[in-house]
Amino acid sequence: MKISYNWLKEYLDIDLSPEDLAEQITNAGLEVEEIITTVQAVNNVVVGKILSCEKHPDADKLSVCQVSDGKDTYQVICGAPNVAAGQSIPFAMVGAKLPVGLKIKKAKIRGVESMGMICSREELALEEHSEGIWALEDAPEAGTDFNEVLRQKSDVIFDLFITANRADCFSHIGIAREIAAFVGKEVRLPQFALKEESSRGIEQALSVKIEYKEGCPRYAARVIENVTVGPSPDWLVERLEAVGLRSINNIVDITNYVLYELGQPLHAFDYDTIEGAEIVVKGSKSGDTFVTLDDKERKLPENTVMICDAKKPVAIGGIMGGQNSEVSAETKTVLLESAYFDPRHIITSSRQLGLMTDASQRFEKGTDYAGVLFALDRAAALIAELGNGQVLQGCIDIYPEPIKETRVKLDLSRVNKILGSGLSDKEITELLSRVHLHYTNGEVTVPSYRHDIKQDIDLIEEVARLKNYDNLPTSVMEPLSLEQPVRNRELSYQAMRDALTRTGLQEVFTNSMISARQIIRFEEKEAVRILNPISDDLAYMRQSLFSGLLPVVSYNLNRHQKMIPIFEIGRIFNQNGGELPEQPTRVALALCGLRAPFNWAQKEEPVDFFDLKGILEDFFNEIHLDKVEFILYSDSSFYRKHHAAEIRINGKTAGTCGEVNKETRKRFGINQPVFGAELDFELIEKNMKRELKYQTIPRFPYIEKDVAFVVDKTMAAEELMGMIRKYGGRLLSDLHIFDIYEGEKIAAGKKSIAFRLRFQSLERTLKDSEVEQVFRKIIKKAESIHGIPIRDQ
Amino acid sequence: MERIDQIKKEFFEHASQVSMPEQLENLRVRFLGRKGKVTEAFSLIKDIAPEIRPRFGSGLNQLKKELEAHYEELKQRLEDSAENEDMLDVTLPGRKTFPGRKHPLLKIADEIKDIFHSFGFTIEDGPEIETDHYNFEALNIPKSHPARAMQDTLYITEDVVLRTHTSPVQIRVMEERKPPIRMIAPGRVYRRDTPDATHSPFFHQVEGLVVGESVTFADLKGVIQAFAHRMFGKDARVRFRPSFFPFTEPSAEYDVWFNGRWMEISGAGMVHPNVFRAVGIDPGKFSGYAFGMGIDRVAMLKYDIRDIRLFFDNDMRFLRQF
Repeated sequence: MKISYNWLKEYLDIDLSPEDLAEQITNAGLEVEEIITTVQAVNNVVVGKILSCEKHPDADKLSVCQVSDGKDTYQVICGAPNVAAGQSIPFAMVGAKLPVGLKIKKAKIRGVESMGMICSREELALEEHSEGIWALEDAPEAGTDFNEVLRQKSDVIFDLFITANRADCFSHIGIAREIAAFVGKEVRLPQFALKEESSRGIEQALSVKIEYKEGCPRYAARVIENVTVGPSPDWLVERLEAVGLRSINNIVDITNYVLYELGQPLHAFDYDTIEGAEIVVKGSKSGDTFVTLDDKERKLPENTVMICDAKKPVAIGGIMGGQNSEVSAETKTVLLESAYFDPRHIITSSRQLGLMTDASQRFEKGTDYAGVLFALDRAAALIAELGNGQVLQGCIDIYPEPIKETRVKLDLSRVNKILGSGLSDKEITELLSRVHLHYTNGEVTVPSYRHDIKQDIDLIEEVARLKNYDNLPTSVMEPLSLEQPVRNRELSYQAMRDALTRTGLQEVFTNSMISARQIIRFEEKEAVRILNPISDDLAYMRQSLFSGLLPVVSYNLNRHQKMIPIFEIGRIFNQNGGELPEQPTRVALALCGLRAPFNWAQKEEPVDFFDLKGILEDFFNEIHLDKVEFILYSDSSFYRKHHAAEIRINGKTAGTCGEVNKETRKRFGINQPVFGAELDFELIEKNMKRELKYQTIPRFPYIEKDVAFVVDKTMAAEELMGMIRKYGGRLLSDLHIFDIYEGEKIAAGKKSIAFRLRFQSLERTLKDSEVEQVFRKIIKKAESIHGIPIRDQ
Repeated sequence: MERIDQIKKEFFEHASQVSMPEQLENLRVRFLGRKGKVTEAFSLIKDIAPEIRPRFGSGLNQLKKELEAHYEELKQRLEDSAENEDMLDVTLPGRKTFPGRKHPLLKIADEIKDIFHSFGFTIEDGPEIETDHYNFEALNIPKSHPARAMQDTLYITEDVVLRTHTSPVQIRVMEERKPPIRMIAPGRVYRRDTPDATHSPFFHQVEGLVVGESVTFADLKGVIQAFAHRMFGKDARVRFRPSFFPFTEPSAEYDVWFNGRWMEISGAGMVHPNVFRAVGIDPGKFSGYAFGMGIDRVAMLKYDIRDIRLFFDNDMRFLRQF
């Protein structure tokens, strides 16, 4: 909300600079988002007097004026329709440079010489758009430096962010009250004299009934007759402009002025449109519609507070007036409403209508229920003055159940207990009284405008705020207790990230909201869909981390990155029919491009499946996870057929890995092979070995033997290794594959797998003969039981 | 015996010519090899007169030793000169390793976690898709609260939301455990913000919560101050300003003086009694403080990053800088 420095000064003597004032406002808990200075200085601009004004001989819309600067007279051409002889105006002389960037030079316009310019507010950067020149009221004498006029107009605007709890600060009086509390001064309420000059009493003109007091606890009204609706005086226009409002007419402007002055929203009706001289406050029924003064027909939610006359609704209470009863240029009699609406009703209706107004924003946070009449009288007096109207005698104030003053119990010792401070009782009560919270006998009375104070903690906050947070003590924590639980999850998370980065993978962090096209899933579960997404691109929650990793691969390929080894740990989301979707954590990796950085000493080779598998094996090793198996995975909806594996840990499925199929990678705009794996974080975590125990290092020499078997191409190496291990028994300590051969030297459809077997014992030196015996046994059993021959040398 | 002297003479003549490994090998074969001159001379022993045989034998042995020694010396000399003469171009770049790195944002999260862990905080976790109850109601933000504008929250159903802050983890932990509690909960949160340089529809927070029998606002100020010193250096000053959050009271925003200006880090405050009541903790007996901070914000400050989107583009050239 915008607050004007000049306006504020009407209610409070401020001797602080705008910057110091901003500091005070900040300390009060109101955030100053911006400080704007409204007026820029000018040069060579003086107050000019228009001595005469005649039509330009060759142009209908131009006038030729004689302008005096108090000494000399200049001929100036002016295009504004409102220019007239006798006016005092801002006169920019030749050589002036205006804040909007205009330089004034001697000119000839349609053959007539012009020696300067008569300025509008726009040209002096005082407003966005002006309709004509600025005719000054109460101008100083011609020739006065125009900066003197501007200085009176100069203002500083504070753009404040007011938190939702401080409804009372949505006005100049409210802000003045806050500043007063901090600088130790008193606020002056506006002074005015309301004259009820009409001969009629209000009861002759109006009756008010509240039929829906839950929504509208208080409704007050006055009637002002013989009003002249017209433009507002400069001071009022300026006040409204300062807070960012446009002037409409004197009546509407006055209601807005009082709104920004006191925080009480008011509404002015054209009295002659009110049928039956009656106002009834009702709750709407479902299906009702109403045309608001912005000409929109609106469907009313049930129980919206409606202001009605004898026949029809005329306003949505506390939100917006109706088109049918709006004040217009022809309005003669004004019905002025000042009410207190229930915040919950307003917030509900405003949300459902999708309609937020200056009034609704204040009512929904709670207005000053005791200030209803003061605001009504203030506005009525202004309408009488500026609209030349006569106020009817008396006012209507329907208030069936007056709201009780809030009293909050406060145990003063609790203040220090919560704040960790050592404030005396006297200081606490003194601080509270600065914001009119008066403490007596364990109780504090709360002003009617402070809806945010409901319990003792609210008062403790007031004490802290008024004391200034920076003046409260700071302490250092006690040492912790020994019972703090250790969180295994965090340790596992860090161990996995450390291991993955060590294997050469770069960690990435991607969006969990994705488009329909990006959906990838490994289980037949429905995706979680966002009801009100920011865009279609962010309408679903990912079901696999690949939905984020593949775009990262694509993004980097498009930027000519040649090596893309990446991983991410994060949640995925699946509908599962429960209250909340399931949200398990996954570990995923992707590899694309070159195996090693481009370099003279290394060959440029693309990654393949075994780079991926090697990384996975290293990863499992690094986190001390054994009992991992890779089994051919044949679902080809994501992976290339026969190029993927299911990963099992302790016999349980922990994820998959493989080459991403062409269709999927093309969907993400990737034109080269990509390899990926996605693993179940929780399952890995559960199987990670945390307690490591020392294993004996062999002291005795080993004996190595090589052998190659010829098997069917389709046979899994793992199967053969299992067989060798089985017959190798305890003496076989290690088994490696060192060559795979397919080709002319062996039968078609076959492959040769060459193994190196290492025999070693932890207890003794093995004898050649016993190793030879085991080695022979393996070869014999392979041949006789499994029909697997060794390869002829 | 002349034969011995002759072999010796011949050997040294040849040896003086040796400058390449092949020549050395020839020398060895010719004199010391299986069919070399020395071996040949040994085979002559049986034809020699018995009276001079011992003298010839020992002379021959001595010769063999002498030649072998000289051969070894030559070999060593050749090897030494080879090692010293082969010049390496040390300016060629080395073979590259490619260790991975952690994401810059998560590195900052790690740093924050380490700091609070050292203060004795546990590290907690909670779901990113939350019920309205945990995200709002239990945090003293009822349906009619003005702080609950529809446009800020992404909804899954009327009662299920993408959490808008990490504060629901406070509630889950307080439901699960009895005080004393000292925890942080880092994680991803979501808002209905259109992405630009300073806004992302998802970002990251660290929630903090401490509950005990005599936890005060002074303790909150202390922990934030201590954190700022560890994170931003010992010159970091902290400023507290009053603010409003429905789930804390008194509420504060805190700024840290870093790189010559005040940077807003986030909010904090004393746990609101209504929040304690919602989880069945007696606000008369226990008090507590909570704080939140934006990980993205801290990371942007520390690394001098002006566009939050850089974190989520995951450009390798960006990621490899950290």
